[in-house]
Amino acid sequence: MGLSNVVGDLSLEMEVDAFRRLFPLRFYERHLSESIRPDGRTLKSARDTSVALGAVASADGSALTKIGSTTMLAAAKMEVMTPSADAPDEGSIAVEYYMPSICSPLVRPGRPAEIAPVISKQLYDTILSSGMIDLKELSLISGKAAWMVYLDIYCLDADGALFDAALLSAVAAFSHLRFPVVSLNDEGRLVMVPEEGNGDKSGKEVVNKEKRKLSLSSPPFSLTCALHKNYILADPTSEEEAVMETFVTVVLNSSGHLVSLYKPGGPVLTQTSVIQDCIALTRQRMKEVQEILDESISGMEID
Amino acid sequence: MEYVSPEGLRIDGRRPMEMRKLHAEMGVVAKADGSAVFVMGNTKVIAAVYGPREVQNRSQQMSDQALVRCEYSMANFSTGDRMRKGKGDRRSTEISLVVRQTMEACILTHLMPRSQIDIYVQVLQADGGTRCACINAATLALADAAIPMRDLVTSCSAGYLNSTPLLDLNYVEDSAGGPDVTVGILPKMDKVTLLQMDSKLPIDTFDNVMQLAIEGCKAVATYIREVLLENTKQLEYHRGV
Repeated sequence: MGLSNVVGDLSLEMEVDAFRRLFPLRFYERHLSESIRPDGRTLKSARDTSVALGAVASADGSALTKIGSTTMLAAAKMEVMTPSADAPDEGSIAVEYYMPSICSPLVRPGRPAEIAPVISKQLYDTILSSGMIDLKELSLISGKAAWMVYLDIYCLDADGALFDAALLSAVAAFSHLRFPVVSLNDEGRLVMVPEEGNGDKSGKEVVNKEKRKLSLSSPPFSLTCALHKNYILADPTSEEEAVMETFVTVVLNSSGHLVSLYKPGGPVLTQTSVIQDCIALTRQRMKEVQEILDESISGMEID
Repeated sequence: MEYVSPEGLRIDGRRPMEMRKLHAEMGVVAKADGSAVFVMGNTKVIAAVYGPREVQNRSQQMSDQALVRCEYSMANFSTGDRMRKGKGDRRSTEISLVVRQTMEACILTHLMPRSQIDIYVQVLQADGGTRCACINAATLALADAAIPMRDLVTSCSAGYLNSTPLLDLNYVEDSAGGPDVTVGILPKMDKVTLLQMDSKLPIDTFDNVMQLAIEGCKAVATYIREVLLENTKQLEYHRGV
């Protein structure tokens, strides 16, 4: 049967699963030489992606995204705070990324995932530097009150391309975000008004009736590619990530500008043509993802 | 404050003996050996089981049975106000211990010596009864992981407000300051494995409230059995049986 001509030095016949576990690199190279991957995808295609908005009812904005099996749940909560003295007209955003123990067999209590704080920082930097959110929109009363948006992203299932899924869930959660209604109380402080149909009992003026959602300019989208010899694999699974140790993450925004490029070392040294190829793949992926996101936003608006 | 109106309706429109809507799904975390989501009203919990696998800390390894570990944590956005720390605080540590001991009682640990079974529970939305939802989710996750158990473990809570026993308290009712009885049972064997109560209750009232909670547990068990049956049918279908 099958593989005895590939595994020349072993005279035994071996089952596919055992071969996959024992010789993962050879297993993958056997597939790559035929321009296909074990799950049937071509080298350039990404896995099925889905976005579900409003997954967490108690949050001001939330989204559940899946890329293949990788699942991310992002939820945004807003609080009123005093803006800092050197930016009295601006609010603030805090982005945190967590990998709880449920997401992977490699994460255990007392042995947290090494990659989690790295992705957390990457996400924060990308979201802020992309200029997707104008912090001035988060201001309520200049110098006195502004919004603080806490975005928490939890990885519920880690199967590769974690940054891509997390960034998508962050963008989706911001698209879904609705500002809570606030009014001025007797002490001159802004308090949140509960959304009840029985009207505002205290008769207080609602400060931000008209401004209820964020306008996102050119949201960023990303694609991670794994590099191995001459091959470029788009959207690697965790198994592929474990076998191939070099990755490039490209982040583009919808106006086609390059927001960030991240290649943290790795054994494969690339020429710039490879980077150009990754950027082209990202551009294509961005179109797909943008359609998916737009569909779920318009689906939500109908409700 | 009135928790039960004169017509006999609670704050969320339920009757005193009515449970919240249940919903469960199995196999939601592809990476885990077994996983499940359990929803009771607005409380949503996800459980993942990894094991039996090699013991992480050799000194804790037991030669005649499996080591069971449990970690309970809450997402920052799970409660009304954003929480700073979702695990490591006293309440989370206590619930981790309670869930571990409850599940350990029903897992046949002697069949898997020198191994470790990890149960991780993450609360995504909290609206009262998180402990109960965690135990129910852990039962389904263990079943999904094909870990041998004596019986299912199901859990439900009950309280006593405005002189009425109430089944399956939500957060508002739970924080009202009245008694809160949480029960966990092995339904087929008809045994109680978890029983926790706080605040004060006269003994005969306690008996009523506990019986009500046990009825709730049995209703959860019926639902869980349906979910397991449906899941098995799907597995058979996918294997082409």
